[in-house]
Amino acid sequence: MPTLLTRPPVQRYGLAVVSFAVALGTALWLNRFNVRDVEFPLFLLAIAISAWYAGTAPAILTMLLSSLAFNYFYTEPLYTFEVAWVDVPYFVVFVLFASLLTWFSAVRRRVEQRLLQSNDRLEGEVAERTRQAALLEQTAIEVRTLNQDLEARSRELEASNKELEAFAYSVSHDLRAPLRHMVGYAELLQKHESSIVDATGRDYMTSILDAAKRMGTLIDDLLAFSRIGRAETQNTTVNLELLLKEALNEIRQDTEGRNIVWRIGALPAVYGDRSMLRLALVNLLSNAVKFTRTRAQAEIEIGATDGTGKEVVVFIRDNGVGFNMKYVHKLFGVFQRLHRQEAFEGTGIGLATVQRIINRHGGTVWAEGLKDQGAVFYFSALKR
Amino acid sequence: MNGLGRILLVEDDPKDIDLTLRALAQYNLANEVVVVRDGEEALDYLFRRGDFATRGSENPAVLLLDLKLPQVDGLEVLQQIKSDETLKLIPVVVLTSSHEEKDVVASYKLGVNAYVVKPVDFHQFVEAIKELGVFWAVINEPPPGSMRNK
Repeated sequence: MPTLLTRPPVQRYGLAVVSFAVALGTALWLNRFNVRDVEFPLFLLAIAISAWYAGTAPAILTMLLSSLAFNYFYTEPLYTFEVAWVDVPYFVVFVLFASLLTWFSAVRRRVEQRLLQSNDRLEGEVAERTRQAALLEQTAIEVRTLNQDLEARSRELEASNKELEAFAYSVSHDLRAPLRHMVGYAELLQKHESSIVDATGRDYMTSILDAAKRMGTLIDDLLAFSRIGRAETQNTTVNLELLLKEALNEIRQDTEGRNIVWRIGALPAVYGDRSMLRLALVNLLSNAVKFTRTRAQAEIEIGATDGTGKEVVVFIRDNGVGFNMKYVHKLFGVFQRLHRQEAFEGTGIGLATVQRIINRHGGTVWAEGLKDQGAVFYFSALKR
Repeated sequence: MNGLGRILLVEDDPKDIDLTLRALAQYNLANEVVVVRDGEEALDYLFRRGDFATRGSENPAVLLLDLKLPQVDGLEVLQQIKSDETLKLIPVVVLTSSHEEKDVVASYKLGVNAYVVKPVDFHQFVEAIKELGVFWAVINEPPPGSMRNK
């Protein structure tokens, strides 16, 4: 809204002159009907109108003009601009009164101006807030959409997890049964061998039995491997020294009749799932025992060193057949083997299981080796 | 199918039935077995319904129960047995291929008396069946109302 103050000066000073002229005209016109002493309030009214609508400077102009007119028309000697001494206080009162009026008006104007400005600012702020609210709403909608996507994805994942579980379940139930039957009937057949099979036939049957048993082990290992991925971890503080004792106990069958020098260093407590970590240790230890089988005296060392930050690194070193570092990347893959079956039996799942367990604990596993010079396996775990 | 037996074998796979009976036969326990082929039939036998309406009222001394069965599965059979006042006395041994922890947990929660995973190796399988048969049908003192030694 344009105020009068922002209008061009011609208009503002014009208003001052016109209001003065109207006041003077009205006063002179009323004088004709012998109405006296109206000029003073009329001039003040004109000054007030100028001050209000046109501002301070035009009001001063009206005041000057009014003073001159007053002097000319209403003070002795009449129709001259001379001022008699007796009229001076009268003028002073007029000017003071007019100034006061102008000043009040100016102050009022300033206050109004400020109010308008702050009003504008408020309006701006309101607009800004509205815009932000709209943005927020839009963001909320986006978040909602994303959430819905996420939910859908999570449902899909859950479904595929269920499928996977059903698959593993079916493998566990249905794949083992025919194997058991193969082994069962092959063995029953062996009992009747004398009448129907010769030595070659016996070999064939042994091969069938071996193959079926191997497949049984494969299925069991694979199921155990898939269970690690699906099972919930139950993390506690795990005493590695105690766990190592248990693991060694578990592989006692493999170490019987062997000449093995064990070097066991101090092991810290770590944070993790006890049964999973034990499985990892058992796998690493039974590997060390297995691949030192060709040595007259096997040496297996287990120890720990400080890793970065809160981690501890556990190592298992052996003087076994080792491996070629060229194939180190294959070491932890599922079904990957670096030795022939007849040299060292195995399903190729052990180290994959170890890796999966350690990864699920937020650690890493790696190995160093030299062909025929032994191997070292390391894994990192959270210190407790 | 109305024969008396101290062992009720609930198994759908004919080869498993054959191998189990052969294993039991080595210890002269094969005659003690009644075989039913699914959960429905097992419940019919136990509750003396349908084909088994006319059988004697004695309960088997032990129930060898496979989990994966057509129609009514093993866990449901187990649940029904253990929620029946007279049937819940029958010792139930789950005999299954499944190593799955959730099967083991579910079975024990329903009050199974033993859980045996059928070994792939035939010798071990025979051993397991033999020990089960001897223990539950001969050594173990069954609850009252079960079939007695002849």
